[in-house]
Amino acid sequence: ANMPTKNVTDERLSKFKNKGKDPAKLREKRITECVELRKAHKNENFLKRRNITLSSIPDEEALSPDYIPNELVTHLSIEDIIKDVNSDCRKSQTRGCQAARKLLSQERNPPLKEIIDAGLLSNFVSFLSMDDEPTLQFEAAWALTNIASGTSWHTQQVVEHGAVPAFISLLSSPMLHISEQAVWALGNIAGDGATYRDVLIECNVIPALLSRISPDTPVGYLRNLTWTLSNLCRNKNPFPPLSAVQQMLPSLVQLLHLSDKDILSDACWAISYLSDGDNDRIEIVVKTGIVPRLVELMSHQELGVMTPALRSIGNIVSGSDLQTETAIDAGVLNVLPKLMRHPKASIQKEAAWALSNIAAGPCKQIQQLITCGLLPPLVHLLRNGDFKTQREAVWAVTNLTSGATVEQVVQLVQSGALEAIINLLQVKDAKVILVILDAINNIFMAAEKLGEMEKLSLLIEELGGLDRIEMLQNHDNEMVYQAAHNIIEKYFSDVSLSCVDEQL
Amino acid sequence: LVVLIMELNDANLQTLTQFLRKTLDPDPTVRRPAEKFLESVEGNQNYPLLLLTLLEKSQDNVIRVCAAVTFKNYIKRNWRIVEDEPNKISDPDRTAIKANIVNLMLSSPEQIQKQLSDAISIIGREDFPQKWPDLLTEMVTRFRSGDFHIINGVLRTAHSLFKRYRHEFKSNELWSEIKLVLDTFALPLTELFKATIELCQTHATDVNALKVLFSSLTLIAKLFYSLNFQDLPEFFEDHMETWMTNFHGLLTLDNKLLQTDVSYLLLYIYSLYTARFVTAIWNLLVSTGQEVKYDLLVSNAIQFLASVCERPHYKHLFEDQNTLTSICEKVIVPNMEFRSADEEAFEDNSEEYIRRDLEGSDIDTRRRAACDLVRGLCKFFEGPVTAIFSGYVNSMLAEYAKTPRENWKHKDAAIYLVTSLASKAQTQKHGITQANELVNLTEFFVNHILPDLKSPNVNEFPVLKADAIKYVMIFRSQLPKEQLLQAVPLLITHLQAESTVEHTYAAHALERLFTMRGPNNTTLITAAEMAPCTEQLLNNLFKALAFPGSAENEYIMKAIMRSFSLLQESIVPYIPTLIGQLTHKLLQVSKNPSKPHFNHYLFESLCLSVRITCKANPATVSSFEEALFPVFTEILQNDVQEFLPYVFQVMSLLLEIHSNSIPASYMALFPHLLQPVLWERTGNIPPLVRLLQAYLEKGGETIARSAADKIPGLLGVFQKLIASKANDHQGFYLLNSIIEHMPPESLIQYRKQIFILLFQRLQGSKTTKFIKSFLVFVNLYCVKYGAIALQEIFDSIQPKMFGMVLEKIVIPEVQKVSGPVEKKICAVGITKILTECPAMMDTEYTKLWTPLLQALIGFFELPEDDSIPDDEHFIDIEDTPGYQTAFSQLAFAGKKEHDPIGDAVGNPKILLAQSLHKLSTACPGRVPSMLSTSLNAEALQFLQGYLQAATVQLV
Repeated sequence: ANMPTKNVTDERLSKFKNKGKDPAKLREKRITECVELRKAHKNENFLKRRNITLSSIPDEEALSPDYIPNELVTHLSIEDIIKDVNSDCRKSQTRGCQAARKLLSQERNPPLKEIIDAGLLSNFVSFLSMDDEPTLQFEAAWALTNIASGTSWHTQQVVEHGAVPAFISLLSSPMLHISEQAVWALGNIAGDGATYRDVLIECNVIPALLSRISPDTPVGYLRNLTWTLSNLCRNKNPFPPLSAVQQMLPSLVQLLHLSDKDILSDACWAISYLSDGDNDRIEIVVKTGIVPRLVELMSHQELGVMTPALRSIGNIVSGSDLQTETAIDAGVLNVLPKLMRHPKASIQKEAAWALSNIAAGPCKQIQQLITCGLLPPLVHLLRNGDFKTQREAVWAVTNLTSGATVEQVVQLVQSGALEAIINLLQVKDAKVILVILDAINNIFMAAEKLGEMEKLSLLIEELGGLDRIEMLQNHDNEMVYQAAHNIIEKYFSDVSLSCVDEQL
Repeated sequence: LVVLIMELNDANLQTLTQFLRKTLDPDPTVRRPAEKFLESVEGNQNYPLLLLTLLEKSQDNVIRVCAAVTFKNYIKRNWRIVEDEPNKISDPDRTAIKANIVNLMLSSPEQIQKQLSDAISIIGREDFPQKWPDLLTEMVTRFRSGDFHIINGVLRTAHSLFKRYRHEFKSNELWSEIKLVLDTFALPLTELFKATIELCQTHATDVNALKVLFSSLTLIAKLFYSLNFQDLPEFFEDHMETWMTNFHGLLTLDNKLLQTDVSYLLLYIYSLYTARFVTAIWNLLVSTGQEVKYDLLVSNAIQFLASVCERPHYKHLFEDQNTLTSICEKVIVPNMEFRSADEEAFEDNSEEYIRRDLEGSDIDTRRRAACDLVRGLCKFFEGPVTAIFSGYVNSMLAEYAKTPRENWKHKDAAIYLVTSLASKAQTQKHGITQANELVNLTEFFVNHILPDLKSPNVNEFPVLKADAIKYVMIFRSQLPKEQLLQAVPLLITHLQAESTVEHTYAAHALERLFTMRGPNNTTLITAAEMAPCTEQLLNNLFKALAFPGSAENEYIMKAIMRSFSLLQESIVPYIPTLIGQLTHKLLQVSKNPSKPHFNHYLFESLCLSVRITCKANPATVSSFEEALFPVFTEILQNDVQEFLPYVFQVMSLLLEIHSNSIPASYMALFPHLLQPVLWERTGNIPPLVRLLQAYLEKGGETIARSAADKIPGLLGVFQKLIASKANDHQGFYLLNSIIEHMPPESLIQYRKQIFILLFQRLQGSKTTKFIKSFLVFVNLYCVKYGAIALQEIFDSIQPKMFGMVLEKIVIPEVQKVSGPVEKKICAVGITKILTECPAMMDTEYTKLWTPLLQALIGFFELPEDDSIPDDEHFIDIEDTPGYQTAFSQLAFAGKKEHDPIGDAVGNPKILLAQSLHKLSTACPGRVPSMLSTSLNAEALQFLQGYLQAATVQLV
């Protein structure tokens, strides 16, 4: 990450305040590329989606006289389908395609592999370009969409049969439902990962997609299109090329001002992907002026909108002080308290994470945080949050104590945060313990400036902290042991030997 | 690097066997060369394989074990490949070791198996998983062997490999490793767990078989804990039912057969999965006996409940009144009982008892756990819990009242319960600081504590007496003063109790009461209030030291110190007796110093006696010297290292009381203090420097007159100190005293050498601390000898040196000087350089005049520069002396701050104005012109302020 340029006095000041720590490093970027031990949980938004019915575009039925609902499609065996699709007769081909689409749309175990192994993909792809056979085009697109919604291997088969250019040209089909089917298929391909995403971008998918956005575009179509755009923004290592991002952003901003919740949700997800990177990436998003709207959407009643809006703002406040400033100016500090008390733990956690990054800022921002009443909900989370939320809240405390003025630290302690983090010294996670010990150390440094070290040691002892820190001197983790030992040595060294409580 | 190859042949095995045997020889002349030889050949290829061959095949069991130990140590020293250092084990050997060691470990007898298992885990730490991919698969296949000797070997090794998952920070690398381990290990471990449980059922009556199976289960539980620690892995989430059902079964098994370590480990596991086990655990608690062997199990189980009940998420588990009542009745009350083991400790192992009961090292005890559970429950249920316990307390007290002799333990439990219930926050310094408002502490004191304290026979029911004393002690901040005053004479009486715990508690309680603060920050209890019992207090304290087992009782000695400090001049009449007793004690303990705290308080008490007595009458100092010097001499002669820093401090204190002369007795000691050996010990340096400073202050003249031959030795000490980054400031203290107090003519021949030494250090290793001290010294020199002398001595070392020092050190660094006295010295010194040094006006040094003035004004007006260059951050840490050698500073030997300038200069700013005025009248016109050309506007403004304040003008 780039370090903000600072003048020399600032440099020196920050050395004092943070004991040589670089404040930019206190900010924690979202770590996504993470090994997980737990069961993978369903994400709020999907990488790929299978098209089972066309319910998302009800109006389309009228537009597509050839559309036959799944239940009316004749059931054929794979063998019959192969025969039909391979025949020379358009009617049989259409029937075969329809039957294949039906099979691929069934809820359980659609026979993706069987269809691929039957060698039907090249036929389907070739049907895509038959502009004079819209029904066949449509059915083939549908079938391919569902194959592309499978595993990476399935998607790979579709791409390797040359579907990408064919789908991109289908985008401009005069038949809206066919164009939409192409949008969908491309979304699935983009969702596979950075490689295919960039293949699509190389093939100029973006201008083709964006040209379909107009005031008359039906809302269902726009939903699919926004979702596909979001997949084109998604994935790191590498990020999507900057030029592509620049191309998409104006339209995303436009979409974010609509009111449909699905569109808002996917557009927010798109922004959250784009802002999930170094400060340069964040800057591009901030520059669009979308921050106030994102902050507004953090209060949206739909969880599906609020979640990605919160994520986006969380990413932005992990950026530079100035970038954080835009979010603060937009009122993020007025929204966070509500989110920190949201019934869903994942929202609490995300909000605490955002707060921890704001707390890593300069003392002016810390002051705003305090003035807006963020300390009580922070303490509430330290006490009652689930463990992951508590972890973020602990970071918030430590970051705050690293950059805050002495008075701000005093306010933090008075708000009950010290008591709460001392209680958390019982947790098992060594890193969290270390972060708490760091906060305690910082608080001591503030007390030292006020000449209230003794008062603080007594307070910590009263709160049961001394016992806990003493026990941590037996911790197996070297760094935890060392940190606990240092605190005891420095601030609690043998009270019974000291006679200084006596006037000389 | 040439790698020699040792053939894997019989001859080499023979040689190795011989040398291994010699390493076991008690005679060092045989043992050491053999160890040396082995070290010299361990770099040879095949050496580790020879060891493995021996440990497997040697006929001699002793050699086998010795080879195993040697092998493990060899692995420990050499396996890790350190960057930029040669690989100390050849690759073929590494491969061969990894290929064979698991098999070898599993087929070896237990003694050797343990060593090899350790070796595997050392290798594993470096090579697993990347460079030893098949280790786990190889181990896992052994699960199917059905041989529990082998299975336990595998489990033990796995445990040593995996246990670090419990304390390491989460990282992608770590989690990838865990994932990999889970892939090969989780399923076989689960299968083994199920199989072992089944075997337990088949062998339910065979105690010996169960022993082995339970040791496997313990290891399995440990592994399960390690693998689940960082997060709940997918595999175990899917198999949770299997594991938890079986764990639950184990816990509810008839626990007479159950080994305690399995179950307490299970408790840790439950802390991962909490709620559903709460009932299982209290059932366990209810059914476990009072025997000592279950202590750890029970205290862990109670601690588990304690940590669960204060979490908001689990509050509901305890909410029900019946649940609360049954926890109180069946878990808390029984475990608060004073057991016969406690009684034994009270009588026979009082030190241990006190440490647990008073100092909080009772973490693993049942009582402490029960007490923590009470506090945990009080967090949410203070009202109901207090109500339930009030009933119990009353009935226990009633039991006691009926037949005290049989039922005194009920009262003990009642007091303990009240204490646990009432204390919400506590510190060493103040005792209980926040109490449960539902408990009436004063009423309990009057009705149940005071009667015990008043009972005429102090030796009856010593446990209850100790309880009562402890109650006063810990609730001292909560009880009204009149009750404390009522308790004081009673506590003094209990100093005479035979029970060590009882009189120790009495001393401790008194000591704590005497440190309490009243209004106006004075002591709560005054010397006047103590007047009626002063004599008895002092008497009883010293008498208590005569009890067997309390001869070096630190609590009593601390109480003596605290009493002196409280009573101040009221102790003067008793001093002749007291000092005799203290010196006698000192003589005794100096023979074999073993209680550092006792000794520390003893010296503090000596200091207090000196200070209090001499404050009223300084002439009495000689009587202290008479009493103490014989003992001090003995301590010095016998080189009692622990005591030397104390002796030097007391001597400093005594010497400082003398008015400007130094008695001959001190002078006789002077040469001894300069002995290099004394200065080798870090702990001696600060007090010795202080003592030498006192010598110089009181006897600078005398030294110059009658011990001039010792001056080189004195400067030798300075030279040694100045060379060390840790002690250079002490060297400067000494040097400054020399400059200040020695007659100038006695130093003439040494001055230049002193400056040269300082320059050498400046060129060698320049630290901020050194520069600061250097600046203070240079300016003190200027104040003492004049600015011209300063300039001349620099320039005599090397032409233009003075200018360089000003330009490179004084001007840029003076802002860093800290401390009011140090700052004043620098201000006055620089003022003299500016105004009393002709070279500053007439030579090329003139160009430095305004910058120096500017620096001085900055020094007056700007905040101190307390930055430290990055490369110095760690110097202090490296140079800080270790704990053992740490200097034990006596609080009551405290030294007053010394100001060599004193009242001669009240306000350095005024001095600057006046001096500038004087200079300007001497050479009219020059000063204003220098100011106007290059002093910056802001500085000029400040300067004008000084001139105005001094009502002078520049001409």
